[in-house]
Amino acid sequence: MSSTSQKHKEFVAEPMGEKPVNALAGIGEVLGKRLEEKGFDKAYVVLGQFLVLKKDEELFRDWLKDTCGANVKQQGDCYGCLREWCDSFL
Amino acid sequence: MTTMRIKSDQEIRELLDGYGIKHGPVVESTRHLYEKKLKEAMVKDKVTVTKPSPDRTFYREEREEVSYVNYRTPVRSEWPSGDGEPYMRSRPEYSDRDLVDEKLYSRSRPEYSSGRQYVDEPHVYNTQSSSSSYSKPTPVVKPGGGVVKAERKASSGRLIPLWIQFLVFLIVAGFLYFLFTSMESAESSPFNRIQ
Repeated sequence: MSSTSQKHKEFVAEPMGEKPVNALAGIGEVLGKRLEEKGFDKAYVVLGQFLVLKKDEELFRDWLKDTCGANVKQQGDCYGCLREWCDSFL
Repeated sequence: MTTMRIKSDQEIRELLDGYGIKHGPVVESTRHLYEKKLKEAMVKDKVTVTKPSPDRTFYREEREEVSYVNYRTPVRSEWPSGDGEPYMRSRPEYSDRDLVDEKLYSRSRPEYSSGRQYVDEPHVYNTQSSSSSYSKPTPVVKPGGGVVKAERKASSGRLIPLWIQFLVFLIVAGFLYFLFTSMESAESSPFNRIQ
């Protein structure tokens, strides 16, 4: 896997608090808007979904693709970001 | 396909378990995803029911896995079936003999030294036959006992994508054919011999 992005590093460095959903790695403006429309307006809501899916990679990727149309790379980035955040703070 | 919608959360959970799909709690936000997964699983189910042939190939693969203990088997499950068909017919002869050898080897412990030699013979036999069959555009059999475990593990899940194996096979076949034709041109053509 390629090295993590700046966004990823920033996100996993501290508790997410009230960060918006496009603070997540892999989630840019377009995907962020789609998620917000579905009610996932904050990063912690996506975190909630991630946890409800038992932190399973395949399920989360499928869900992300289904919900906002993320491609494989975006799915992977988001999953990796959340997983690492959970490892540190959960 | 809207019948999924009317099922209760509990029913969806039971269906997911029935198909062996890993899942979390069925809540509002996850429901849609699980409905989709169930639909895919149902479609897959229909497909596998109508196709009995995959079972046959599976049995074949199993058989090959068991019998080829002394070979580094190029005839793993992923090898193109086009190549496999005529080749595999000649192989069961080896495999039967090999299986017999293995049984003898495992049974007779005090006869360790003689058993060992006995097992070595197929090795020798292999190399000779492999060198003679080298001209054929088929994969070469290389004896190597220790490789078996790695092969078995690899055949269960594709580590090397199928298309790469096809490609390698074609390259090897092309190379051998090239060798063969270049050798033929060195001698006089057999068709001109009528004098």
